[in-house]
Amino acid sequence: MNTPALKLTDLRKSFGKTEIIRGVDLSIPVGERHAIIGPNGAGKSTLFNLISGRFPPTSGRIELDGEDITGDKPFEINRKGLSRSFQITNIFPRLSVFENIRCSVLFPLGYKYSFWHRLAGLTDAADRAQDILERIGLSGRHDTQAGLLTYAEQRALEIGITIAGGARVILLDEPTAGMSRSETDRAVELIRRVTEGRTLVMVEHDMSVVFNLADRISVVVYGEVIASDTPENIRNNQSVQEAYLGTAVADH
Amino acid sequence: MGNWRPAVVARGGESALRFAPIDVGRWLTWGLTALLFFALPFVFKTGFAITLLSQMGILIVFALSYNMLLGQAGMLSFGHAVYAGLGAFFAIHALNWIGAGKIWLPVSLLPLVGGAFGALFGVIFGYVTTKKTGTPFAMITLGIGEMVFASSLMFPDFFGGEGGITTNRVVGEAFLGITYGPGRQVYFLIAVWCLLSMVAMYAFSHTPLGRISNAVRENPERVEFVGYNTQMVRFLVLIVSAFFAGISGALSAINFEIVSAENVSAVRSGGVLFATFIGGALFFFGPILGAVIFIFFAVALSDFTKAWQLYLGAFFVLMVMFAPGGVASLVLMNLRVMKYGLFYRLRDPYVGVLLSGAVLLTGVVMMVEMSYHLTLEIGSGTMMRLFGFRIDAASPEAWVMAIGTLAGGALAFEAMRRRFSRAWGAVQERIEEQIARDLRV
Repeated sequence: MNTPALKLTDLRKSFGKTEIIRGVDLSIPVGERHAIIGPNGAGKSTLFNLISGRFPPTSGRIELDGEDITGDKPFEINRKGLSRSFQITNIFPRLSVFENIRCSVLFPLGYKYSFWHRLAGLTDAADRAQDILERIGLSGRHDTQAGLLTYAEQRALEIGITIAGGARVILLDEPTAGMSRSETDRAVELIRRVTEGRTLVMVEHDMSVVFNLADRISVVVYGEVIASDTPENIRNNQSVQEAYLGTAVADH
Repeated sequence: MGNWRPAVVARGGESALRFAPIDVGRWLTWGLTALLFFALPFVFKTGFAITLLSQMGILIVFALSYNMLLGQAGMLSFGHAVYAGLGAFFAIHALNWIGAGKIWLPVSLLPLVGGAFGALFGVIFGYVTTKKTGTPFAMITLGIGEMVFASSLMFPDFFGGEGGITTNRVVGEAFLGITYGPGRQVYFLIAVWCLLSMVAMYAFSHTPLGRISNAVRENPERVEFVGYNTQMVRFLVLIVSAFFAGISGALSAINFEIVSAENVSAVRSGGVLFATFIGGALFFFGPILGAVIFIFFAVALSDFTKAWQLYLGAFFVLMVMFAPGGVASLVLMNLRVMKYGLFYRLRDPYVGVLLSGAVLLTGVVMMVEMSYHLTLEIGSGTMMRLFGFRIDAASPEAWVMAIGTLAGGALAFEAMRRRFSRAWGAVQERIEEQIARDLRV
């Protein structure tokens, strides 16, 4: 029963001659909230892109619940139970908020490529989408075109699309980027609520969010994990202090 | 995943309505459409009107099938006539076989043959084209269109060479007196298949695959991350679309009793793109309007003037520039203005724009028609009929009048257009404010 939710073994990625990810080993147990931090350009987003199948790794191995998903396509990885959000809001702008969510529950509910079901008759999909809308606080925006939502609402919708399929492992890429303080606080509450009982991995720059949410933190510098530990130990880790955090952590 | 709370849907009248088992409005719409289709040939009785209506029905099916790609899934194809045309070729051969007693099939079901072969070629060609998106997809469809067109001239046994394949649709036993001899009977066949296809394609747009194709249009990358293989989505949509294109091809084979290389040509592919875009690709009913307008240009206007393609081209350019959402969006935007009770502010500007536009158009038409007459029909002398008047296309007076009308119309139109544009902007602003206010509540 100790199979980690996500396990990376000597993961590497080169673009041309430049090696961006330089041998990452990481094991994230089921149910953990894990934050990945590091300076700009350290390779955090690339790491997410490798895990979620956006790019294939150059070498190494990625396991989801013990199953090898290295080199799988994004939709295959999604079907196996891993879902991700994006740093730059990535929604369906001209569909309604409700349709945005419903589109992300159709495949997991088994409707796949069906053209013999009427959408209006699929009460399970509608109920689930409605339920997600309420969880992310957008039920009042049911019929609004997603592109017309405020920035914070679009970020909430982004998270909604990510969690709606019921994936066991959730990857959030800077979920609070560009938000005000109060919006960030609400987003943290939202993330805590909707990832209950699931494994969460997130890239985040806001240290208050990281130390507030994470059970464990990995620090990525120049494509390598230099430390992976509890928030308390990361705060006091000498090499982390030198490499990256400095005063950023001491404040929290 | 047992953590999904039970349904919380039955709040508020609006969401309750959404889940009504029978949508009264929809049944009413389809019922009225059926009634209209049935009544039209009794109102417009001439042979010419029946021809016009039949061709509209055929193009409606074709344009709606094309819009499954363009409007619904965001796939710009330059080779959609391939599916309609190949469907038409197989249908016309089937019809000839029925006539020769080789196979038994009621002529009424012939569109299914066209549809099946359209879909078959959708599988074959779509497998290649849908591997790519965007511009590469468009280029490959163009290439396949040229390939099929070239092959159609290379294999005269099947495609009939330059002359095409001809047939006689009056074959087999008459069923309830239906022989498909008279044009009106063919119209009713087309009307029934058009209605069935419209309902089916509308229903398709409300299925999981239909909705996901919209999502692929909006943001294909995100669709990959909610579990869908976008290539598969595009492939399946293309097959369904090719099926309906094939139905329209078979209908045209029955209607014209001839299918030739032109049926698979880039001209046809371009035509359906014109019709769909003019009507409005973003709305389901857009291509229906577009098909009606296109046939009006291509069939009705071409009887009056050789310059109809020039007018169609100019109309297309104007639509792309000033109403990229097509006629459908113009209709909907004006309905929105009416809904917010602001149409009275546009009424006078509209009258001004339309009147001055009519003068400008008259000037343009005079110039174009006189030029065409002088270059193409000079053999029959310089006298011509224009708007019911006999004029001499070579006389300076006629040209002075034409240029005068054109210049006067252009000046007036520009002034009216500015006035209209201000009024329109102000009205839209009012509406946007109102919507923003409603959203905040």
